[in-house]
Amino acid sequence: MTVATKHRALWRRCIALLVLIPAIALAAPAFASAKKLRVGITLHPYYSFVANIVGDRAEVIALIPAEANPHNYQPQPDDITRAMNIDVLVVNGIGHDEWASQIIKAAGRTENLPIIQANATVALIPIGGDQEGVKVVNPHTFVSTTAAIQQVFEIARRLGELDPDNATAYRKNALAYAGRIRALRAGFMTRFAALDLSSFRCATTHAGYDYMMQEFGLFVSAVIEPRHGVAPTARQLANTIEAIKKANVKVLFAEKNFSLDLAKPIEAATGVKVFALSHITGDTYSADEFEVAMRENLETLAQAVEYTQQ
Amino acid sequence: MARPSAAITQVRPRSGGWESLALVLATLAVITSVAGYVLLRPERVGPPTPLSWQVRSFDGLGAVDQAIHSALLPAGEEIIWDNNDTGGWVSLERAQELLLPPFYQDAFWKANGEVHWQLVLPGTHLTHKGAEDDATVADPTVSDVSKATLGQGATVYYGSAGHAPGQSAYLLIIGHAHAGVMWANQATIWVHRDPNAPYPAIVKPESLVGEGWRQVIPYDGASEIERVKGTQP
Repeated sequence: MTVATKHRALWRRCIALLVLIPAIALAAPAFASAKKLRVGITLHPYYSFVANIVGDRAEVIALIPAEANPHNYQPQPDDITRAMNIDVLVVNGIGHDEWASQIIKAAGRTENLPIIQANATVALIPIGGDQEGVKVVNPHTFVSTTAAIQQVFEIARRLGELDPDNATAYRKNALAYAGRIRALRAGFMTRFAALDLSSFRCATTHAGYDYMMQEFGLFVSAVIEPRHGVAPTARQLANTIEAIKKANVKVLFAEKNFSLDLAKPIEAATGVKVFALSHITGDTYSADEFEVAMRENLETLAQAVEYTQQ
Repeated sequence: MARPSAAITQVRPRSGGWESLALVLATLAVITSVAGYVLLRPERVGPPTPLSWQVRSFDGLGAVDQAIHSALLPAGEEIIWDNNDTGGWVSLERAQELLLPPFYQDAFWKANGEVHWQLVLPGTHLTHKGAEDDATVADPTVSDVSKATLGQGATVYYGSAGHAPGQSAYLLIIGHAHAGVMWANQATIWVHRDPNAPYPAIVKPESLVGEGWRQVIPYDGASEIERVKGTQP
């Protein structure tokens, strides 16, 4: 091989490298953007919210099993494994998912897992009824339509910050989803428009429905549980029964999929009719679970109001 | 009997007195630890205290005002997003199509005082001009209020004439970054104790306060998390 041939070969290699290096550099971001964001969620409604916001542009991963009761959940090893493999976690943050921080800590993700507080911009309201003169924050913002939409917007905004390539799509999907939730609400609003809501009085076993009631101009007169998930003492129960009688409450909303142990004695003592509302928990996570559960809740609420008009 | 010796013999501890030193050091360590904890512990803050011209949504508003405020928050966000995308403002007619509370005239609107909403655009003399559908008819009663915002750079949804007991009048004020107003690309909500309060002459905080309007401070999830978990100093 002559010297000139050797030089030509060297030049060819140099040129090839000059072409390949930028090509490899350009290919890297394309690969990165092709990687789907793995969005963790803690509660059923957030699975629906995130699934509808991200569509097929990100993966939604539930942190705990679908059938678990978030009210008294104890973290399991599999939860920690899941927490180790997500890019961001969406939480309620003001109740129901306190266990998420234990899981994050156990997974060693305290410092490097972005958290989306779904309620960050939701205007909170107090638990209805008499809470012994104290205004206590109601964390059930997801059992509603307006507060749910606010959370959808907040999640979409934060996901857009973390995944700017898909920010426009997330926002568009969030607006479309909000439109569907509003359409669901509007259907029942038409039904409620024909009813006299001014005399409607209700009690609930669990303080889960103030946001939903607020949307229809309805208010809760009494809550049986003195605190979230805490059973009343005999004296507290007696006081609540007295309050129900005094306020002329006709309807008691109990919890679907939960025990009616609290509702039955109150029904017997006061003559209220018991209806069951959903806390939006179930056996499977799905994109449409929130809409299905809220439709059932609004149907139950409409039936309860109609019952009091008879 | 032997007299006791007048001389005092000092008996030094066999350890050389290190126990006293250790006790002093241990006391200092405890004091330092306690002082360090007090200085570095997460600060537990209470709910934000409203200024004299502000009102908290959580415990400062009546049920009807609270419901309308809760609806105005996401509505404001959606209106801003829509403006970012289209450059226009969601008109009240468009709000009906979008089923957007609190403007949408449904059972919520009815149960919460049937508030009369007006859209007041910046620098216009006709209400709705520049809104997305431009199909509205000029209303002489709002022409004056539109004049009031001339050059002020804020888009305002003004709600009045609600008839629920204890109801307020409302302003959803959306500022433009380019217009140089203090609320850049964000919405603020104001209430007035008189449900028939006239549209303010000037949509700026000092003027609004002077005319009896109060800014609503939402007690939101971020505030609650801060209250419960505290903030690092």
